[in-house]
Amino acid sequence: MTLLDTELAPGAEPARKVPLRGRQTWRRLRADRPAMAGLAIVASMIVVALAAPLLCALEGQDPTTFHSGLLDSARGGVPHGAFGGMSGDHWLGVEPGTGRDVFARVVHGARVSLAVALGATVLELLVGIAIGLGAGLGGRRADAVLSRLIELSLAFPPFLLALALMAIVPQSVPRPLLLACVLTAVNWGSVARVTRNQAMALRGRDHVAAARLSGARPARIAVREILPGLAAPLLVLAALKVPANMISEAGLSFLGAGVRPPTPSWGQMLSTATTWFRTDPAYVIIPGALLFTTLLACTLLADGVRRAVDPRWNGRS
Amino acid sequence: MRMRPTVLLGAVLLAAASGTVACSGSGSGSASSAFDPQNCQGGTLTVLNQGGLNEFDPARLYTSGGGALPTLVYRTLTTRQRVPGEPGTRPVPDLATDLGTPSDNARTWKYTLKDGLKFSDGTPITAADVKYGIERSFSPDLPGGAPYLHDWLIGGADYKGPYTGGELKSIETPDARTIIFRLRRPHGDFPYLATATQFAPVPRAKDTGVKYKNAPVSSGPYTVEKYEQGRKLILARNPHWSRAVDTQRLACPDRIEVTSGLDKTVINQRLVSGTGADAKAITTDTTVGPEQLARLDGDRRLAGRVARGVFGETKYLAFDPTRKPFDDVRVRQAFAYAINRQSVVNAVGGTALASPATTFLPEDKAFGHRPHDHFPAGAAGNPAKARELLAQAGHPNGLTAELTFPNTDAGGYGPKVAAAVQDALKQAGITVRQQPLGEEDYRTITGKPATQPPLTLQSWGADWPAGGPFLIPIFDGRQILRDGGNFNLAQLDDPAVNREIDAISRLTDLDRAAPRWGALDAEIAKKALLVPLYHPRTVVLYGKDVKNAYIDRWRGWYDVSMVSVR
Amino acid sequence: MIWYLLRRLAAAAVVLLALSAIVYALFYLSPGDPAVLACGRGCDGERLALTREKLGLDDPVHLQYWHFLEGLVAGRDYSAGPDVDHCAAPCLGYSFQTDQPVTTMLLDRLPVSASLAAGAAALALPLGVSAGLLSALRRGRLTERVMTGVTLLGFATPVFLIGLVLLMVFCAYLQWLPFPAYVPLTESPARWAQNLVLPWVALALIQAAVYARITRAGALETLVEDHVRTFRAYGLRERQVIRRHALRGALIPLITLTALEVAQVMTAAVLTETMFGLPGIGKLTVESVNSVDLPVVVGVTVLAGTVVVVANTVADLLHAAADPRVKLA
Repeated sequence: MTLLDTELAPGAEPARKVPLRGRQTWRRLRADRPAMAGLAIVASMIVVALAAPLLCALEGQDPTTFHSGLLDSARGGVPHGAFGGMSGDHWLGVEPGTGRDVFARVVHGARVSLAVALGATVLELLVGIAIGLGAGLGGRRADAVLSRLIELSLAFPPFLLALALMAIVPQSVPRPLLLACVLTAVNWGSVARVTRNQAMALRGRDHVAAARLSGARPARIAVREILPGLAAPLLVLAALKVPANMISEAGLSFLGAGVRPPTPSWGQMLSTATTWFRTDPAYVIIPGALLFTTLLACTLLADGVRRAVDPRWNGRS
Repeated sequence: MRMRPTVLLGAVLLAAASGTVACSGSGSGSASSAFDPQNCQGGTLTVLNQGGLNEFDPARLYTSGGGALPTLVYRTLTTRQRVPGEPGTRPVPDLATDLGTPSDNARTWKYTLKDGLKFSDGTPITAADVKYGIERSFSPDLPGGAPYLHDWLIGGADYKGPYTGGELKSIETPDARTIIFRLRRPHGDFPYLATATQFAPVPRAKDTGVKYKNAPVSSGPYTVEKYEQGRKLILARNPHWSRAVDTQRLACPDRIEVTSGLDKTVINQRLVSGTGADAKAITTDTTVGPEQLARLDGDRRLAGRVARGVFGETKYLAFDPTRKPFDDVRVRQAFAYAINRQSVVNAVGGTALASPATTFLPEDKAFGHRPHDHFPAGAAGNPAKARELLAQAGHPNGLTAELTFPNTDAGGYGPKVAAAVQDALKQAGITVRQQPLGEEDYRTITGKPATQPPLTLQSWGADWPAGGPFLIPIFDGRQILRDGGNFNLAQLDDPAVNREIDAISRLTDLDRAAPRWGALDAEIAKKALLVPLYHPRTVVLYGKDVKNAYIDRWRGWYDVSMVSVR
Repeated sequence: MIWYLLRRLAAAAVVLLALSAIVYALFYLSPGDPAVLACGRGCDGERLALTREKLGLDDPVHLQYWHFLEGLVAGRDYSAGPDVDHCAAPCLGYSFQTDQPVTTMLLDRLPVSASLAAGAAALALPLGVSAGLLSALRRGRLTERVMTGVTLLGFATPVFLIGLVLLMVFCAYLQWLPFPAYVPLTESPARWAQNLVLPWVALALIQAAVYARITRAGALETLVEDHVRTFRAYGLRERQVIRRHALRGALIPLITLTALEVAQVMTAAVLTETMFGLPGIGKLTVESVNSVDLPVVVGVTVLAGTVVVVANTVADLLHAAADPRVKLA
């Protein structure tokens, strides 16, 4: 084992060969209170994101309309009134400089954040599993080539590369989709590596050998015999990837390389907030708290999933 | 002409201005005595800037009135008058003995150099050096300066500079102190143009081409001790300069250290706290942010360290009326009615930093400004009227347009303004698709009529405080440049307009010319070829120990050549 | 061992070469003419042609890449007509937007980034290691829960959010510290530190979470090993247990895994520098990306890739040296 073969999660150990037992795992997860709290928050965030237009209609606002009359223009465009201009019309106040409704923007921002995080995770899994299986099951030559490719992809500093890629890609591509693709392009390596190593290990097992001897086609073996064995480590990995991708999206948007301005995003709001933190603290606190809560919930859930999949981890970390 | 996006020119070149408010002159903070020009020498002035310093070659600088920093090193035939208030919008002789003698209907301008002028290396400054400096600016290796000279001087359009093209015959130097310019057409405001750094003398023997910027020979109060492109400029005293030969610049500090590449927030925070060398710091390109604006209300000590002024500049929405749907004047009018100037002003920092504009000419007497508002949108837009006009024009269900703009907010007409415009137009049923472009792309694409997008955000700054350089590049039919660098985005070629421009240009009495520029602006505005959005204002801090930081009305900023840190 | 070392180094070199080739191809084959981007304002046909010549854009791609590699090793000259710009080795390219060699630009900003990284590490290491040890030794108690919770917070918070909160509390509300503005160490050590405190803390909190988790895992592993149990049973004092065994057990994974976290720390550093407006390499990267200054983007990406690869290799070698169980074959 070289260190490059260790799992990517901070402080984690090499993926262990634990079969995934659905019901048992779920039972363990349910007993894990922090994880369930995380799950509840993540679930409600997803509901909020899906229902964003509905919630905005309820409030009677939309995320893009300017309300220049609600701003104190002489003081640089700070909202009139306390707490960033919170009122019955604008539940979480208005954005300094534009007067756009903060509530409408954060619920729509939740869409971007979650869509990119989940979308990128799914894409990373698809790409990573495909390449990993190719390496693990495709014979020596395929393994040699693909393994080098995996190693190479892991040698890139992912965030920097994503930042640079976002800059050179044509502007016409829809940004959330682009973000998901770029994050996939720089992050698929870890999934591929885990998949390959697991596949390699499982290949030698009896049931796989039996399937092969009975003349099953390689694709069938991959799906029927190998993939179920991959479920446990990949579930853990995927759970960890969601918050990681969310942080990356927020970071890219913070640096101005994420979604384009009329589309709201939490990272982008926080970037604007750097010029307003003194005069309009509410504008930092609201998107900041949401981003923080969602990330924390995702991390708690991921931690819980890991413990539930492999209870022996409990003692470790 | 040719507008200057502020980003590009940055600090060094921040151009002309006409001020409305003169600032509280003397520095506050330190308990020392009031400012005394006779006893102000000494100390090191720190300049904290975001941009600028990308260029320091007098041929390549695009300044108005010599700029903030270049004027400390390069003296020119004429220069801006260094006094507070309205007289600061006038040119005065610098190297020359007077503002020039026009003849042949203002087609020929003759200047005589003062006696005893010397370069920093001790050699005398001659008329040939001035001529050579101008000739260099025609070299394709040294682009970037204001293109007026190419257009005005006879033979200027085809001249390629002294490296390959010999000499320019329309500049004559009959003796060491006389220089004569021959122009293609009458230009009454030639003395304003002669404030540009291209009119600085360059000794041919010391010319190193593109490397000249690293060690230029100085004619002003300071020499370049160190120049690192985009990062640092250190100026030290020029031993061959004295107030006896230069009546305009006070040049109080012994050293000036300029740092560029800093963040806006950082600059303002450093000026506010003023620890160490920052107490003697100023900035020549950074206005205050919302944070300081809010603080100025309650903090009187800080409010005493703020200079306020106006730079003659207009940000506007430009149509290409040769393209659908903007060929219909009613569509253009609809856009003009729909604009919400309040939200545009808020987008760029509120009323302290911008005033809503309904005229293309800046609001100052020097420009000949005459108030008018042909398509009154009120403070927050008139979407109803806009819809009505659109319906008349055959767009009862509104329309969709693509808006092109630079992708940074540094110039004050970037994404933030675009978002405000987009929202205002949405209220009138116009769907705007945003098309942000990188700075370079943006300039290349908008500068050619063939590639020009139909709807763009634009900025035009005054090269000198007069109506001509504001209206000519934008509306003169002979200024439509097909090969790039075009700013007549409407591609207006109206014989009546061209005739009036020629008639006003002929006037050498600029007080008579000004009101006619104002009248022309009001007349052209009826065509709705562009929608003025706002005129920026300057609100800028200076360090605790800085004195005489008054606002110069030409450039709307404090004049570094007059500031003292003693 | 020697063989393993050589093979590992050779592999690293191959990875680096491939990495630079991919980055180079990606950016130079991207849509948009690098000559137009490099040439800048007022660039007409004649100047554009000169810039192409200077950049060597008329050469085939593989030749261009070769020149890039050559520049890295031996330096190169960019010339067009009489105008020559020399770029000394290791030349990472030449930025025509700013008219400077990329290497110079990076070196210029290195002190800022180094100050940030060193200070943050100095805070994060003791903080993270002690938190990790504490939580390993106090298993099942409140301390452990608190420590785990705090570590989790560190993982779940983007560094710019921590930075913003710090700014709000210490600059705006308490007004204890100035808004950070980099002052060189050589100019005034006191003001250097005073201005960097907030960025240090922001970055250190993120890093400490990583260290804490690694330390905890390593220490736990050691503490359950038989010989430690035996020592404890023999009445060895707890402090000695910690120093001799728990800490040592955590040390190797700490070093190696820290190296693996280099990429993550770089990400956090980029965000920290941008957040606080510190003119370091990270901020340069963001600026170059925004102004599409491709030579700088390529240079920084290649440099960052190099750091990651070198860190990984060092980690592997250390791990191999320390742990005899690692197969050296």
